Formats: sequence, structure tokens, C-alpha cells
Amino acid sequence: MAVGMPARRSVGDLLGTLVRFGLAAVWLVSGAIKAAAPERTYLSVQAFRVLPDALAGPVAAVLPFVELGLGVLVLFGVGTRVVAALSCLVLLAFVAGITQAWARGLSIDCGCFGGGGDVAPGETRYPEELARDTGFLALAVWLLVRPRSLLSVDGWLGLGRPARDGDDGDDRDEPVPAES
Amino acid sequence: MGGAERTARKRKQTTQAARAVAAARGGNDRRNVIIGVVIVVVMAVAVIGGVLYTRNSSTSGGAGDIPVTAAHAQYPTKVEDDGTVLAGNESAKVTVDVYEDFLCPACGSFEKLYGEQLEKAVADGKVKARYHILNLLDRYSNPAGYSLEAANAAIAAAGTGKFPDFHASLFRTQPKEGGKGYTQDQLVKLGQAVGISGGDFESAVRGGKYNEQIKKQLEAAGNNPALQRESAQGKSFGTPTIAVNGTMVDLQDAEWLKKAIEQSGQG
Repeated sequence: MAVGMPARRSVGDLLGTLVRFGLAAVWLVSGAIKAAAPERTYLSVQAFRVLPDALAGPVAAVLPFVELGLGVLVLFGVGTRVVAALSCLVLLAFVAGITQAWARGLSIDCGCFGGGGDVAPGETRYPEELARDTGFLALAVWLLVRPRSLLSVDGWLGLGRPARDGDDGDDRDEPVPAES
Repeated sequence: MGGAERTARKRKQTTQAARAVAAARGGNDRRNVIIGVVIVVVMAVAVIGGVLYTRNSSTSGGAGDIPVTAAHAQYPTKVEDDGTVLAGNESAKVTVDVYEDFLCPACGSFEKLYGEQLEKAVADGKVKARYHILNLLDRYSNPAGYSLEAANAAIAAAGTGKFPDFHASLFRTQPKEGGKGYTQDQLVKLGQAVGISGGDFESAVRGGKYNEQIKKQLEAAGNNPALQRESAQGKSFGTPTIAVNGTMVDLQDAEWLKKAIEQSGQG
């Protein structure tokens, strides 16, 4: 039954692995930079002028570690589809934040990778920031649509393989499904 | 080979297939639960651990007493009805209006660069200074509101004559923009440390006695055309802003105060 699987797996899964590592790097780097400079992170959250003062503190405190957590999960490929969906939500929130700042004529730096806060009016870079986040969003969407990749916890658990009648036959370490 | 036999075989195949699908699905369900738990645990550990770590490392810096820094010269002060602090001899020919915010890093730099000159000139009676202590950066302490509380406390200190040291102390060990800011407790303690006695100061700090005047001063400064700086998107007000006899001065000119005194004929 399991004919032709290795060929179908190789190219797409290899690409998926690269996408996964790319998205993991984005989250880990941006999360680490934000975690290392909590004052800066708070200022960049405030600069968007979206959240009430009482919420800006907690959001700035939590955000770096949400990013780091997502980074670790994406890196190891744990629940890739769910984590990709969460990544999409966070990235969409960033895109919405930058878009409203641009639309309202604020002059801020998004602080996506450190920095952030108010900048001189001539120094905004909204198109670049949005293009970059859209690129990251594309990575997350790829994993949302096609979560399967090599070197992932999901793969070791045998997740994301098409259910076929009986045993896959090609897996060395797949746990035996319990009869119910 | 009869039809019954074929039907039986087919039924057997169907049930086998159904059972396999059910088994596989049951296995996936369990794996999904495990993965869901792992996701929740990893996110919870990251967020809770991270927030606790940040809180511990950031409170250690600014939790103690605010160190006292003596001003370079002592000068008399008077709190005006509009919430400004008039420093020095009221009949001095030169009036220096100082607009600053205790959280503003550039104001800290201004004090470092020109604070000594200005304090001495005020003490000598060559100029009088009108301090407009503003809450421009209220949103930029975490929690928000340090600018207003510090401004209110400094004006209250002016009422007791201890403004010079109180003001110098808050600028010398300035909280980081985006950081915690000092609490009311710390401001009250600083007041005691610079020699303020009696409960009036403490109740003014805790009750926000000058808050409304401070907000009005900020609004007035923002609407004063003489205090706006040119930028690519039009004019805007910022701190620190210094005006000599109503005209904004360029702080890039290190001699601004000397020139102002010379021009008034006091050399």
C-alpha cells in the first residue's frame, strides 16, 4: 500500500523544514532582543498608541516570552499546524498595529527587532516593516497549510501522515495505535 | 463461488477497514492531546517564567532610596498659582523659562550640561528661572504616570524651600524611560532626606496637589507658538525647551546663558 511515499515526502518536507527553521529563527531572535530590553519593549508597545496604559505594561512583559515560546515550539516542530496558526495570529496583530500607526500618521519604529518607539517623522519605514512581516506571515501560512516537515517532534509521533487502512508499514518508530 | 460468499468477504473487508481507521483516528486523538498539552506547558513556562525573571531583575535597580544630590547652588523658590516654580530674585532682568520632565533623558542631559551654570546664575541673582515641570512623558514609565507624580512632588518641595536639592536628585539618578519610575513612597522619602519636615509635603505628594496645574501648563506649552520646534511634519513642542525672556534658545549654543546675561548688561 505505502508506495511512492518517500519520493512524495522528500522535496516538500525539506522545504517545510527550511520554512520551519526560518520562522523559528524569527521568533527566537525577536523574542530574545525584546526580552533583553524590557524598557525598550514597553516604549515600543506604547508608541503604537492602541492599548490603554494599564494594558501596555502586561502586554510588553508577556510579548517577548510568547515569541520565545512560539520559537521553541516551531524549532522542534511540536504541533506545527497549531503553532503556525498562533504565529499567524500574532503576526496579523503586528501587521494591524503597524498599519494603524501608518494610517494615523504616527511616526514610530515598530520595534519588531528591538529599538522601537517614537522616531523623527522622516525616519519611519512602514512599507519595509509591513513587507517583512508579510514575509514572515507567508512562512507561518505555509506551515499552517502544510505542516509536515523533517526533523520534527510531530514526525516522530507519526502525526500529519495520511491515515491509511492498517499500519503505515514504513515507520520504524511509530507507536502502535490503541484499539478502542 | 456464490454471491453470499462474495458479500461476506466484502463485509469483512469493510469492517476491517473501518476498524483500522477508527484505531488510527483514536491514536491521533491521543497524540493531539499530548501535543496540545506540550504546547500549553511550553507557552505557560515561557511566559510565567519570563515575566517573573523580568520583574525580579528590574525591581532590584530602583527599589531603594533615591540618592540625594546637592544642587550646585542654593536659591530661593516660590510656587506660583499656575503651578510653576519661580526660582531666584524676582526682580532679576533675565527670565529663563525651563520646560522639563523628570523622565525625559534629554532633560537629564540638559541638567548635566547647563544645570550648574543656571543654578549659580539664579543664586547670584543675575537671572530668575521659571520651572515648568511637565508630564509630557506620562505614558512612558511602566506603570504610567511617573512624570506627573515627580512633577507634583518637586513643586511641593518648592513650597518648603528644598526644591534645589530635590530637583537635582531626581535628575541625577533619573529612572530609565520605559522603566519603573520612582514610587510615591520613594518621593516622600527623598523629601525627608533633603530636609523637608512636616506632613504637608507628604500629603501633597500623595494627593496630587498640583496635578491639574501641571496638566494645564503642558497644554499651554503645547499651544504656545513661541515654543514649537520645526520638524519635517510641522512644528511640535518637546522637552527640554528653554526660553530667555520669552524667546526659545538653541541649546546647541553652549554659550546661550552667558550671552543672555551679557545682553542684559550684567556681563
